[in-house]
Amino acid sequence: MTAASRLARSVSTALLPRQERERLAHLRFHDAGHGYDLLGLELDALIAAVAASSFLYERYFRVSSHGAEHIPAEGAAVLACNHSGLLALDGVVVVMDVLRHTNPPRLPRAVGDLFLQLLPWVGAMFARVGVVSGTRGNFRHLLESGELALVFPEGTPGIGKGYKKRYQLQEWRVGHVELALRQRAPVVPVAVIGAEESWPQIARIDGVRAFGAPYLPIPATPFPLPTHHHVYYGQPLYLHERYPPDGADDPEVTDAAAAEVKAAVAALIERGLAERPGVFR
Amino acid sequence: MSGVLVTGATTPIGHALMRALLDDPDCERVLAVGAEAEPATLPGYGSGRVVYERADLTRPREVRRLLFGPARALGIESVLHTALHRSAIDEGGRVRALNVESTRELLHLAERHPTLRRFVLRSYGDVYQIDPGRPVLISEEHPLDFSSGAPQFVRDRREADITVCTRMGLSPMRIIVLRCAEILAPASGSQLYDYLSAPVCFRPLGFNPMLDLMTIEDAVDAMRLALGSDANGVFNVPGADTLPLSEVVREWGRRGLAVPGPLLAPLYRFRTSTLGMEFRYDLNHRRFHFSAVLDGTRAREVLGYVPSHPIAWPSGGAAVLERAEPRSKAEATK
Repeated sequence: MTAASRLARSVSTALLPRQERERLAHLRFHDAGHGYDLLGLELDALIAAVAASSFLYERYFRVSSHGAEHIPAEGAAVLACNHSGLLALDGVVVVMDVLRHTNPPRLPRAVGDLFLQLLPWVGAMFARVGVVSGTRGNFRHLLESGELALVFPEGTPGIGKGYKKRYQLQEWRVGHVELALRQRAPVVPVAVIGAEESWPQIARIDGVRAFGAPYLPIPATPFPLPTHHHVYYGQPLYLHERYPPDGADDPEVTDAAAAEVKAAVAALIERGLAERPGVFR
Repeated sequence: MSGVLVTGATTPIGHALMRALLDDPDCERVLAVGAEAEPATLPGYGSGRVVYERADLTRPREVRRLLFGPARALGIESVLHTALHRSAIDEGGRVRALNVESTRELLHLAERHPTLRRFVLRSYGDVYQIDPGRPVLISEEHPLDFSSGAPQFVRDRREADITVCTRMGLSPMRIIVLRCAEILAPASGSQLYDYLSAPVCFRPLGFNPMLDLMTIEDAVDAMRLALGSDANGVFNVPGADTLPLSEVVREWGRRGLAVPGPLLAPLYRFRTSTLGMEFRYDLNHRRFHFSAVLDGTRAREVLGYVPSHPIAWPSGGAAVLERAEPRSKAEATK
């Protein structure tokens, strides 16, 4: 066992109840032979990351989950979610929420921006906990392997939007519906409420492109605010039952299907904003 | 595959291949080609099924003599071309003549040959571009490494590969190119084998990419299946071992040390210049930063190739062969 694995197990043992550790040990993944999948996921690292994020999920953001029964129990599916926050902590919240509300647990493989791989430590750590860089090939591999893919169709502009644009969906990319149609996978709309106020951005410096990052954000607060997070899951959209597989090559079809997903996420956001008693409550 | 011409027959891969072919009842005879005068250790040498020919493939006339002499006389049907210069530090016209020109000559003459029907090239996963903007899992459609600064080791392999690919579908022969993962074994041109020969292995700080490695046995399996196939095309040939660089170092029983990336090139250049080692960091720079794993789906579906010989790591560890179905850690522990 490597030092990293020993450290991961120590963190898990210290921070995660035994029952939850045992439950997570039933998470199924494609082990390529040495305890890693082909894209670099390692269960010990994932469980340690879950343990380390538990405080954030339970105590800091006090996440409430709504409609988790819509997450498919098996088979390939795409979770399409709104995006916000300087460090994309909404991704951590959704991954934690799906792991908590599926049994046996399912890991949503977050599809991140390409520049993440260029970041020292960050790229390697993300790979170990199941994040994949957002190339068409990686995404296709996830769906072909029957995995749950978590995408943020707004991309980096989603996390880069200013406070005034909170809960306004930015340009909605279509790649996720192309692949969902081709792989015959349902798309589950997801909305995270609370994340868009937790770490407001007051400005950004566009000229700074360290490690391929598109800009340098200037946050209003040094840490994210402990806003109450809500995660809403909508009814799965079986787009492939209404559009032919070759519709994936038709821009009109993909635009229409993506607009349908965007509208479903917007409706969940509207519902979530109407239902919450307050930003911090 | 009643008769097979094998280039590079005197290398460790060639020997393993010869043994596999001699075990195959469908293979009636093997024309083994090498640079040595007397390959006493060549499997089957002296038996009626193996004919050895010494040939310098960098000389077109030798290639012509080989094909239209012994190969025609023996009624050879398939060429399996594995002879490439293994050293990464040698460069120049002579190296290129073996890597590229001999492949071109062999292929062109084989197309005019009266008995040859199949051409198999053992190529390399090194021909692919490794880029953080590209998929980790490399399919056969993945872009090749055409970067202007690529060392001759990569340029030659890429050119030999493309030279053969351009004839697919146009040639009267069936052509297969096998882009193999790195074979972690001595005298096989493995950069990692040389890297791991040092007691301390340096790797870039902050990066720990996934690597895909294979054994000679799996490479031989893939070549044998290609010889028996009627397919035409390019096939990725992954190995049974996919693991991070740090684990490779650990499984090999070496001490890994992460150092800032910019220090690695001068460190390994110094090592090469003082000790004459084969490992070149400029060749491995990108794969020491970004994961790249060959996708063997096509080889599995068309050739029936599944990696089944994991590396016997000095640490005693071994890969648990991949299963079609995912499984949990709890199931693996049982």
